[in-house]
Amino acid sequence: MEYKLVPSICSYCGCGCGVLFEVMDGQLVGTMPLKSHPVSQGKLCIKGWNLHEHVISEERLQTPLLKTNGALQEASWDASIQTTAERFKKIIAEHGPDSVAVLASAKVTNEENYLIQKFTRAVLGTNNVDHCARL
Amino acid sequence: MTQKKMTFLQELLGFVGLEDRLHLAWISSAEAQKFQKVVTDFTEKIRTLGPSPLARDYQKAVSL
Amino acid sequence: MKDTVKKWLEEKQVDMFLGYKMVHGHALPYCFQADRLDEVDDLVVSRERYSLEKMATHIAAVYPEMKIGMLARDCNQRALKVLDIWDQLKKDSVTTFNVNCCPSPLKNHGDCSYLEPSPVGPVKVELGIDNNMSVEHAEHLDQKERFAHWMYEFSKCIKCYGCRNICPVCFCKDCSLEHPELIRSGGALPTEVPLFHLVRAAHMAGRCIDCGLCEDACPMDIPLRLLYRKVGSSVSDLFGYRPGIDEGKSPFNLIGDAPTTEPRPI
Ligand code: SF4
Ligand code: SF4
Repeated sequence: MEYKLVPSICSYCGCGCGVLFEVMDGQLVGTMPLKSHPVSQGKLCIKGWNLHEHVISEERLQTPLLKTNGALQEASWDASIQTTAERFKKIIAEHGPDSVAVLASAKVTNEENYLIQKFTRAVLGTNNVDHCARL
Repeated sequence: MTQKKMTFLQELLGFVGLEDRLHLAWISSAEAQKFQKVVTDFTEKIRTLGPSPLARDYQKAVSL
Repeated sequence: MKDTVKKWLEEKQVDMFLGYKMVHGHALPYCFQADRLDEVDDLVVSRERYSLEKMATHIAAVYPEMKIGMLARDCNQRALKVLDIWDQLKKDSVTTFNVNCCPSPLKNHGDCSYLEPSPVGPVKVELGIDNNMSVEHAEHLDQKERFAHWMYEFSKCIKCYGCRNICPVCFCKDCSLEHPELIRSGGALPTEVPLFHLVRAAHMAGRCIDCGLCEDACPMDIPLRLLYRKVGSSVSDLFGYRPGIDEGKSPFNLIGDAPTTEPRPI
């Protein structure tokens, strides 16, 4: 039996509220506010309160979804990346780089988000990049 | 149990300014006249109290 | 305190001890265990209050045989009593090391948020309810004012459900506040004012131990504690029961008891 409380930062938005994860036997079982955190002062919104749920959720997506024939269908990573690249190329060739945009996620690391904006600016050639944590 | 809960609820509703709008009475299925009296009296009381502040004053209360 | 806890762990009087430890400058709840006895030297009584008994309940739900030791302030002790009465955490499985609340002018050893209340700003005084108001004072406001001020407070709610989640004595698996047929959720926020708060208040009757954690956790600074104090004072006036202090089941838990109150006249 192992029971730990791990301090962390909520990844849902740019406020950066302090959370405390309840970990039992290596499994994330709960989230509560970090009382002494200078930003959130022991308060959270409903997203922060439920941070642990998406980690253990059964509904979590395991593969990419591609829209084929008007419906989202499971696809392999290779096929999805291939399709995305082709479509990007085609759109940029026809309408210019500012006709595409990239939305990044707070659920990936800082470094990956850095790569995403670098890719968007340097490779695609547009400043249309945004992030769900930029409130 | 109902008796306890209703008394408590009357207290609670009163505290947030919704008093007098909840009433409990025991009426058996054989007591048609009592039923008629209680319902008439309570309707009368609600009529004098006017429409529920929840419907009427809500907008005003939040935009105060 | 440290020696006692060490002794308890060594002699297997408890399998684990829930206390606090400083981590990166934050006092965090920490689970001390016998195989890491040295760590007990870092045990502190923190200024921050977490609901250690709620954590103990989570542990006991998975490991019912576990003997849990716990640092307990006054509010923790009251919560433990209620949890025992409601069969959530049996008192035989918990050993407490009782500490007073930390220092304050009111109590030599007291640190509850309500012992040193922070003053509220002018907008709140004008439109809302002063969090530090007494129940008696709030009861004597004029009906219109009372209604408008409470509605102002309730309508600020962002429905984070923090008040429910943090409450040490809120433990139902199916919460009425999430039941689609009982309460409308979704759509525009905040919904169902004041039903959300009144339903919760009614459900806390006979259970709320006035720990104030809900108000601490409320991002919108709604005077929840005052509302639940009223719940507590009504239950104690009407039924003579104070949760966490008096023994026995809550008056709302006993069916068939002769009513002590009469239906009120119209
Ligand atoms: S004060 Fe709030 S958190 Fe504490 S027992 Fe009462 S309702 Fe629950
Ligand atoms: S903690 Fe406050 S804002 Fe959150 S649901 Fe409760 S009353 Fe509403």
